[in-house]
Amino acid sequence: MPPAAAAEDNYLTHGRGILSWALTLDHKRIGVMYMVAVLISFLVGGVFALLVRTKLLFPGEVSWMTKDQYNQAFTLHGAIMVFLVIIPSIPAALGNFVLPIMLGAKDVAFPRLNLASFYLWLVGAGCAVWALLAGGFDTGWTFYTPYSSTTAYQGVIPVLTGVFILGFSSIFTGMNFVVTIHKLRPPGMGWFRMPLFLWALYATALIQVLATPVLAITLGLLAIERVFHVGIFDPAMGGDPVLFQHFFWFYSHPAVYIMILPAMGIISDIIAVHSHRHIFGYRFIAFSSVAIAIFSFLVWGHHMFTSGQSGLMNVVFSAITFSVAIPSAIKVWNWLATLYRGSISLNTTMLYGLAFIFLFTIGGLTGLHLGTLNTDIHLHDTYFVVAHFHYVMMGSALIAMIGGLHHWWPKMTGRMFNETWGRIGCLLVFVGFNVTFLTQFMLGSHGMPRRYYLYQPEFQIYHHISTGGSYIMALGFVITGIYLLHSLFWGKKAPANPWGGKSLEWQCSSPPPHDNFATTPTVGDPYDFSDLKWDPATGGYATAPADGAKTSRGGH
Amino acid sequence: MTMPMTFLAADPVGNMPPTFWMPEQASTIAPSVDFTFMVITWISYFFLVLVTALLVWFAWRYRVRGEHAEPVDGPTHGTFIEVTWTVVPTVIVVGIFFMGFKGYLQMNTPPQNAYQIDVTAAKWLWNFKYPNGAQSDDLYIPAGQPVRLVMRSEDVLHSLYIRDFRVKKDVVPGRYNVLWFQADNPTPEGKFHWLFCTEYCGTDHSNMNRKVHVLSEADFNLWVQEQGEWLDKIPEDQLYSKAAPKLFPRCASCHSLDGTPGTGPSWGPSNGLPSIWERTSQGLTKVDGGKPLSDLIGPGKEYETPESYLRASILRPGAHVVDGFANAMPTFQGQLNDRAIDALIGMMRHLDEFDAKGNFKGLDPAKTASR
Repeated sequence: MPPAAAAEDNYLTHGRGILSWALTLDHKRIGVMYMVAVLISFLVGGVFALLVRTKLLFPGEVSWMTKDQYNQAFTLHGAIMVFLVIIPSIPAALGNFVLPIMLGAKDVAFPRLNLASFYLWLVGAGCAVWALLAGGFDTGWTFYTPYSSTTAYQGVIPVLTGVFILGFSSIFTGMNFVVTIHKLRPPGMGWFRMPLFLWALYATALIQVLATPVLAITLGLLAIERVFHVGIFDPAMGGDPVLFQHFFWFYSHPAVYIMILPAMGIISDIIAVHSHRHIFGYRFIAFSSVAIAIFSFLVWGHHMFTSGQSGLMNVVFSAITFSVAIPSAIKVWNWLATLYRGSISLNTTMLYGLAFIFLFTIGGLTGLHLGTLNTDIHLHDTYFVVAHFHYVMMGSALIAMIGGLHHWWPKMTGRMFNETWGRIGCLLVFVGFNVTFLTQFMLGSHGMPRRYYLYQPEFQIYHHISTGGSYIMALGFVITGIYLLHSLFWGKKAPANPWGGKSLEWQCSSPPPHDNFATTPTVGDPYDFSDLKWDPATGGYATAPADGAKTSRGGH
Repeated sequence: MTMPMTFLAADPVGNMPPTFWMPEQASTIAPSVDFTFMVITWISYFFLVLVTALLVWFAWRYRVRGEHAEPVDGPTHGTFIEVTWTVVPTVIVVGIFFMGFKGYLQMNTPPQNAYQIDVTAAKWLWNFKYPNGAQSDDLYIPAGQPVRLVMRSEDVLHSLYIRDFRVKKDVVPGRYNVLWFQADNPTPEGKFHWLFCTEYCGTDHSNMNRKVHVLSEADFNLWVQEQGEWLDKIPEDQLYSKAAPKLFPRCASCHSLDGTPGTGPSWGPSNGLPSIWERTSQGLTKVDGGKPLSDLIGPGKEYETPESYLRASILRPGAHVVDGFANAMPTFQGQLNDRAIDALIGMMRHLDEFDAKGNFKGLDPAKTASR
């Protein structure tokens, strides 16, 4: 693979014009389109977050944002970030790009279904816009009944339609990944030779396929109640609002793991590759992903400790909830052990990986306060919960997504980004995030309820610090956006293997050719980096010639 | 050595004041909740420091010093250490679970002799009803006695949260949820404990908070008796001037007196119409999509008199909804008796005798003179 083939055909140049993108069946292009769409949604959701945080500088009413506008702003922030950003971000954007290449395959098992999934996402996002045009909605992203079935806002039905459709987008991706991993693994790649990102995507896909239909059914029932006045959840018509909470969390708790599991997979790969040494405890990490996926279906009731469900149920759900702590802890220890005696590149990607471990540790440990019955009664629906799930969903899932974006950026775009600005951006995001959300733990433990427009002046100091942090974080993201865009045009050309990874995506050129691989590549241990050598000619890593026997192609 | 035992029989000491993590401890279960919280917090500190120290140490100690890294060998697994870091967290979380479980049992089991208060929540007000029929908007409870709240909602989900007591329970329409607590120390003069609504319920969710007052048993008994009888004790001719200012705060979360827009129509002149009594008695208000009240009020019509219409609007607010407003008002059936409704209608008729907050100020002498 000499660097002579400068004008080599790659997936970005293979076919030109807007139609070649709109009708593409190439998983890489679909992944890139997903990534662009998700990042735009992230920008919109982030603006709503900043609006909410800016309002909260003041304890009383502000002239530029009414109570109702505030309620809509936090609802939109939550709904956009959960349904349009975090759930599709890692599987549908990064996963789509990387998964088939990691398997040495030309594409996913069902390329047309894959494209359909992206178009369903677009329709779902369109429904969110329709909801805004129809007058907005103010239900919170949780759509609790009977508020959601009685609120005067006309955007409720459009947004329910959107979330329903987005659910199918998610199911399509999940089905595709399950089949692809089962059927398209190359010769020699047994289950325990898969990169850990694939284990994580597999566990995620199982949850997407099994849990998402429940959300679709629930939202369908809610729409039926709102439109046809059939009493299902509204007690005024003979329904039961707590039933809605059971249905909703039966999906939405596993959905939390749809967000975090693939993030853990990315981190496993980032930590190993940038430590340039074999991952520690491969099987424990792989099995802990599956364990988390299974437990995720059994703990939904811990969202409802104060709902009036029976005390016995509370006790059972609390007990099962703690079981999730154990596989999560195992992963953290394994990542730390992988750092031990590594050869660690402290580049931007790795900084995001290290930031993840710290933030996820805080998110996980504060989960103990909330899984514990008597302390949860005090903390439920306060800012403590808000801080906790931001540490997990943003500090962990989104930080891993951004880490993964940097990790595979050279592969996706063929360009290297500026490391100095990368580290500055990461540092600002990390500091800003902690300033924003550490203070919210204190707000919550002191009893500040969430979703409050007005608050008591005693809380103001915490809100000031928190809002200041959110501005620092926003600055970090702006810088990140700028240097990434800059790299697209002026970045250094990326070598095939800039970091020294061993999984198959680092064996094809950057960006990869349309068909990924001309011949099915040979598969080894994805974490055995020992035969990789820095090659100054390409500025990347290449297999050491001394060990050439391992690289011979098509030897099966 | 003899220990002075006086502390056992000492006067009630004050509540534990707020700490770095927690608000004031004002109920009997608060100390055990806080103890559990602090145990978990210290475990969290320990592990956070441990993880961070290892993270920073390894990242620094094994960082690449040159331009680029070369692959290295390191251990890939170790059964002993992996079993260790599985078993140790398991033991710890089992311990934490049991602490929470024990605390919760105490929290979830109201004593038989508890003093019962019926709670009604609605958008966006709380109503507390005591065994003798007395009612209040703020919560008053006797010190040193278990109190049991039996709670229902008139519309959507709400949640009753008293942070200083560390208690919370959703208020769910269609069922009665129960919450109990005991506060041993009366709140000092001028102080109170916040009661928040913690389940999102729309526009004024963040305004749906009330004060909790803990009174000594004697003070409480006096208060509740007075509260049960005050309305009956007011002479007929002073009904609206004396009673309405005490009743109006319940209406004030949605209705203003000076035309300020709110969730419900202002009682003062607003939207180009005169104040509520004039626009109702003259049939000017439009309801149900363009229908003037003159179609509804009058001899032989649905309501004989404006008073009947206003009375029905308080007891069955959804029957006719004023144009431009949502059907958001809860019913006050069972909360306001006939005398209370009389007082409020009297207030509407004599709105110029009240200030914007609903305090009775009497007739403006200047106006009286000019009449």
